[in-house]
Amino acid sequence: MQTALQLVMTGLQIGSVYMLFSLGLTLIFGVMKIVNFAHGQFFTLSAMLVAVLVPWLTTRGVSLPVAFGLGALAGIAVSIVVGLLLYQFGFRYFQRDLVGSFILSIGFALLFEGVFLHYFGGAVRAVPPIIDGDVSFFGVNLTAQRLALGLVALAFTLALYWVLSATRLGKAMRAVSIDHEAAMLQGIPYKKIVFNSFAIATFLGAVAGAIMAPISVITPTVGADYLVKGFIAVVIGGLGSVPGAIVGSLFIGFLESVGGYFFDPSSANMAIFVLAMLILLLRPKGVMGNG
Amino acid sequence: MSASATPLLKTQGLTRKYGGLVAVSNLDIEIRPGEILGLIGPNGAGKSTTFNLISGFVRPTSGRLYMDGEDVTGQSPTRISRKGLVRTFQHGSLMRTMTVRDNILVGAVGALRGAARGEREARVQEAAAMLGLEAYLDEVAGNLPHGLQRLVSIAIAFAVRPRVLCLDEPLTGLNQTEANATLDVLRRIRGQFGCAILLVEHNMKAVMQLCERIVVLHHGQMLAAGTPQEIRQNESVVSAYLGTRHEH
Amino acid sequence: MDKRVLSQSGLAVVVAGIATLAVAPGYSANLVMWMAIAVLMAASLRFVLLIGELNFATAAFVGLGAYGAGVSTTILQWPFAVALLLSGVVAAAIGFVFGFVTLKTKGPYFLLIGFAFTEMVRLVYTKVQWLGGNSGMVGIFPPQYLEASYITFVVVLVGVLLIALYAIEQSHLGKCFVAIRDNDQVVQSVGVNVHLTKVACLCIGAFAAGIAGGLSAFVNNVISPGDFGFLLSTFALAYLKVGGEDSPLGPVAGAILLVLLGSVALGLGAGEHVFYGLAIILSVLLLPQGVVGLLSRLRPGRRSQAHVA
Repeated sequence: MQTALQLVMTGLQIGSVYMLFSLGLTLIFGVMKIVNFAHGQFFTLSAMLVAVLVPWLTTRGVSLPVAFGLGALAGIAVSIVVGLLLYQFGFRYFQRDLVGSFILSIGFALLFEGVFLHYFGGAVRAVPPIIDGDVSFFGVNLTAQRLALGLVALAFTLALYWVLSATRLGKAMRAVSIDHEAAMLQGIPYKKIVFNSFAIATFLGAVAGAIMAPISVITPTVGADYLVKGFIAVVIGGLGSVPGAIVGSLFIGFLESVGGYFFDPSSANMAIFVLAMLILLLRPKGVMGNG
Repeated sequence: MSASATPLLKTQGLTRKYGGLVAVSNLDIEIRPGEILGLIGPNGAGKSTTFNLISGFVRPTSGRLYMDGEDVTGQSPTRISRKGLVRTFQHGSLMRTMTVRDNILVGAVGALRGAARGEREARVQEAAAMLGLEAYLDEVAGNLPHGLQRLVSIAIAFAVRPRVLCLDEPLTGLNQTEANATLDVLRRIRGQFGCAILLVEHNMKAVMQLCERIVVLHHGQMLAAGTPQEIRQNESVVSAYLGTRHEH
Repeated sequence: MDKRVLSQSGLAVVVAGIATLAVAPGYSANLVMWMAIAVLMAASLRFVLLIGELNFATAAFVGLGAYGAGVSTTILQWPFAVALLLSGVVAAAIGFVFGFVTLKTKGPYFLLIGFAFTEMVRLVYTKVQWLGGNSGMVGIFPPQYLEASYITFVVVLVGVLLIALYAIEQSHLGKCFVAIRDNDQVVQSVGVNVHLTKVACLCIGAFAAGIAGGLSAFVNNVISPGDFGFLLSTFALAYLKVGGEDSPLGPVAGAILLVLLGSVALGLGAGEHVFYGLAIILSVLLLPQGVVGLLSRLRPGRRSQAHVA
């Protein structure tokens, strides 16, 4: 029972990272109908900047939490700027062109990965935990850091939900994702919506990176590793569906948690891939997908 | 043409629901060999759904579909097509990026799967000749004017030599001359090959001219069926059309 | 297939084969062989693109071919010809199952599933000990009688396979592929089994990719799981995009160009990732129809074809 609860908590925590990832992916697909393979690079960029800035700041006497806050802000800001540059000079011209945009995004992903490898090197960086100590409830042990991560992810997911359902921007985004021509005819400022959607998605990816920096091992390819499973989560849930992305992410989180416990990480990964294929066999557009 | 014992196509209580919406309910329609049947009705009457149901592109919620007396309910479009029912689509019923020749070739391949290249190519020539497309065989279909594109769609379906040719609004966007020419082609096809033709159309004049029998749908149900004469004089049909927005 | 095109391409293959006799053994020969294998991989990707699907599992099929050849040669001790043939057959067989299951999905779903499949197969290699696990397999050598002329063999075989792929593309089956890409509903409505046709396309592409993998196993003599991850698929994609996906010569141009430039760039110390990344970005943004597309537009008097953007 104890173990089961522990596994559930771990699953939730892993799933929450994938959630931040896959929400961005599904958002971009929903609004622009493109698969952005470079999405993981915003994660990496943000995490890298945090991993570099925090030690730099703390050695200059800045306290850890403040350093982290500044580092995270920098990471997120830079990621968003880079993301919007990619949009402005690249993806903007490939909306609804699945193959073209995908190939372009692969190009960007490769480029960034190469640059990261070059400048940040293959060396692993670690950021000391921001929040120390463990938290225990229901007899389950969690590091406080991971708990904070889960809560932040949850907060952003709820925020996104609220934006999509209650704000004008959100409703416009949904309209565009359902039928962009109809949305344009209704006078929805299409370009602005797409721009904002891309910014939001990039923001989510960057936030995930910033939060994960203190927890996990940051290498130049870390974003790509999460990206693969983030995509699987989105595909399982249905491309373009926010609830689908959440369901898919949690599903993968649990699989990873359980699989990692009873077997090993790579077996868990294999299981994830096989199950994803099975799900697509039964529901070719994902569990909640509608194209 | 006299009705033979077994109709080519028969539906029994055919119904299709989408959640709470009933698109088509309890349809009993028959297509007899060699006849030209029109399917009309105001917008939203369920004509497209009916088309999709009888061609296998959509599964009925309930009811049955028979071809030559055989129950084919729920079978795939591929299998229904191989049994002799070929349909066109309302929009873009052709391969825009391919030449007219290659377009019709696809139809020939569908019909003559195991046959030799030469046989298929002969079938393409024949279909092109019937539809008057010989001069355009090497043109890219997407570059042709709308009227010719419509003829290409019909040619593709015709190349299969179906026993029931189902055309989804083949006259939309055609001017009077083009529409009349198409009607002539359809008559010729039926005359020479004896296939039945099912036509969904909004062009009322054309329907009255061409069809031997007409089925009227309204709100997903069959409102009336009979000869053009009978339909023209049917009061409920008239009021159904007057009561809703009229297209042509 | 057009008789003239057939004889012209046959001639080109013969010429290429003769040209390989002039290549010095060692690095140059290896480079030429890598180019040929890259061409075959890109051609495989292009072939499946005929049905409108981007087959990201190409790397998986290359890997399956390579491992097929490796197992046949080092473990089962079967002759070279059998091993090579098997590399294609194994890939095609698994391609059939994969395609049958996954080609019910389309577009982004098929793409990402191909991606997942590639990674999954790679993980399987690392876990199976008699395949060498993480270290892979070694000692995969071409037979004695081919050692000196292996480069000619590779180039000619790739050339022949390219011609075969083109012949299929021009056949009625190939027209069905393209029709499915354009409007699969219409194809369905005339009684063609769209699903099985798509699976057939994938099988053929997988066969070609498998042969590429088998050939590469004998060139490199060692194979490991890491060689066949999704990165390999992105390379194939780069070759195809830079060369141009519309023409069957696109894979040839793109692969040769990128492998050549890549070896120069690597010599200068630049990163592999950066190089291929830039190549893809620049050709997508500036050369949407690839090098071959650009060249054909510059040729005067060429009849333009309708191109689906």
